[in-house]
Amino acid sequence: MVRRSLVSVVDDDESVRESLPDLLRELGFAAHAFSSAEEFLTSDYVAQTNCLILDIAMPGMTGLDLQRELKLRRQEIPIVFITAHRDETVRPRVLEQGAVGCLFKPFSERALVEALNATLRINERCI
Amino acid sequence: MADSSHEGSVDNAVGAATVTQSPSTQALSRVEPAQSESGLFSGESVLNILKLIFAGAPLPDVLTIIARLVEAEGKGMFCTIWLLDEDGRYVRCATAPSLPGFTANWDRTPVGPTGACCGTAVYRREPVYVTDVLSDPLWDGYRHLVLPYGIRAVWAQPLLSSEGKVLGTFSILYRQARGPSTADLQMIENASHIVGIALERHMKEEELRRSEAFLAEGQRLSRTGSFSWRVATDEITWSEELYRIFEFDRDVPVTLELIGSRVHPEDIPLLNDMIDRARGTGSDFEYEHRLQMSNHSVKYLHMVGHGTRDRDGRLVYIGAAQDVTERRLSEETLGKVRSELAHVARVTSLGALTASIAHEVNQPLSGIVTNASTCLRMLAADPPNVDGARETARRTIRDGNRASNVITRLRALFSKKETTIESLDLNEAIREVIALSLSELQRNRVILRTELADDLPLVTGDRVQLQQVVLNLLRNASDAMSAVDDRPRHMVITTEREEADRVRLTVQDAGVGLDPQAMDRLFEAFYTTKNEGMGMGLSVSRSIIERHHGRLWAAPNDGPGATFSFSIPCAPASVTSAGRRPIGKDAKRIMRNP
Repeated sequence: MVRRSLVSVVDDDESVRESLPDLLRELGFAAHAFSSAEEFLTSDYVAQTNCLILDIAMPGMTGLDLQRELKLRRQEIPIVFITAHRDETVRPRVLEQGAVGCLFKPFSERALVEALNATLRINERCI
Repeated sequence: MADSSHEGSVDNAVGAATVTQSPSTQALSRVEPAQSESGLFSGESVLNILKLIFAGAPLPDVLTIIARLVEAEGKGMFCTIWLLDEDGRYVRCATAPSLPGFTANWDRTPVGPTGACCGTAVYRREPVYVTDVLSDPLWDGYRHLVLPYGIRAVWAQPLLSSEGKVLGTFSILYRQARGPSTADLQMIENASHIVGIALERHMKEEELRRSEAFLAEGQRLSRTGSFSWRVATDEITWSEELYRIFEFDRDVPVTLELIGSRVHPEDIPLLNDMIDRARGTGSDFEYEHRLQMSNHSVKYLHMVGHGTRDRDGRLVYIGAAQDVTERRLSEETLGKVRSELAHVARVTSLGALTASIAHEVNQPLSGIVTNASTCLRMLAADPPNVDGARETARRTIRDGNRASNVITRLRALFSKKETTIESLDLNEAIREVIALSLSELQRNRVILRTELADDLPLVTGDRVQLQQVVLNLLRNASDAMSAVDDRPRHMVITTEREEADRVRLTVQDAGVGLDPQAMDRLFEAFYTTKNEGMGMGLSVSRSIIERHHGRLWAAPNDGPGATFSFSIPCAPASVTSAGRRPIGKDAKRIMRNP
């Protein structure tokens, strides 16, 4: 049996943590949500995660901090950033840092699927 | 005294005593030269001259009449009167009625030790008798001025005021070289005395005229008129400026009815009330009312009256009324500008906050879109996942409400309203501001602690304006910590009840602190230490707090950072309203006890 790709969602906003995993499961992924970068890092899911959907602005460790931390740990998980701040300068900055996508909230299902497909293509290349 | 050499109006023919000029001096013709037995003026002539003087006849005319009368005393005698300039450096010939062209040829002599007779007498403050100008060295340089008239002898008597100030000289000239006899000296002294009276009277009148002119000018410049009101007879007198303010003709008799005809119809009851009180109590009054002019423009008048008693114990009000229209209008404009400014500051700081507000809205929107997608997928599945779909629909509704709440709070802050005064819970107002700012504070990694007092009494004020101040203080505190990385970015918001029925809010940060050099300028408009700041925040905040009868101040912390606080009174239920004025009333009255 093919293991379903695990998508981890890290966001301090509860409604995202509630809604996004459900949609991801409907789309055929396994999904798990974390309320902070710290919670994700200390969990057992880091190594299993095939794709990370990561909020940029969070209290404490931000999404960018987590990206840096994962790089240091050589955990090359493809990241799709999501943010409620519609700041156009953010996207090129995070893509430059190696992110696969950057979605502004609210984002459509199609935009999400496209970003996830991009991460999966990367995963296939890696395998 | 400057009006010297005035001889043109009097017939200059030698010996003539007929006067042919202005109506005011027609009475002069009655003062005919009259020979007395003693060889001095008759008592009647002197009396007539004094009458002229006190009737306010022009000084040059009076002097000419006196000179003519003196000349009538002795054959071959000429009389001249010299007046000292205001700066005391020259004497000028004011009249020489029987020496044609004399004053034109010789209009002034410097005061000094060798100034012919007139200049020398003033210099020495004593009479100078020159028996022959041909030989006397005092006349070196001046002889050519008198020789054409055949003058040989000149006697000059200094004219002194009652305070002993030299005013000029009284001079007698003869065609014979001679000295004065005892009778001459007596005559000169008498005549000098009368001239002195004329001069002093003239000076006093000038002084009065000048001080009246100052007063009138002062009244005109300050738009203040003065009045007196004799209550028993309703006899009212007005200064010129008051006529100008009311726009009535100067010759119209002032009555209460006339005043009433100019008072704004809505303020008539106020006027009547004021009159009744004044009549009844005799106490001082101060009130402000409007005038409605004939072109329907409105003037604002501020009036104060002081009750006094005349000698018979009857009530007389003395008072002043100032046209404060411009001040009132500029106050209104200022109020409007201030509210515009507060709005600008509000919008500007919200402009910077837009990102975090968008964040607040985008979060629930994101949930809504994702849930809706999930819901559609669950319903489209085979079999449809109805329970799951129901759950996501429920979440959609919840997130929709959440977005709506954000919009409601936002609208309250953005809406531009005139000041609305209401009783409000400061804690609740603060919580709303915090709710709006929270994501921005989090983004700036501010660790916020709130210590809001449970028993905080209500305050009176404009909720939006007070929230604006709180927002400003939060933003400032947050900005002050944006460069701080070596310590936690702690911010503490505290509310507490103060003594004297006041409520205090403090916002403490751990930021860069205050520059002691700039403490004074902190609350000035356009003073800013921030790159993006307009420098309006604290200035507007302070003016808002002051309008709430409160105080806004800043203090450095013991450790790093600064604390900003404001203190405002509680709602009136717990505070006396003494000393607080109602805002925006067109007319008000303040009755005071004397």
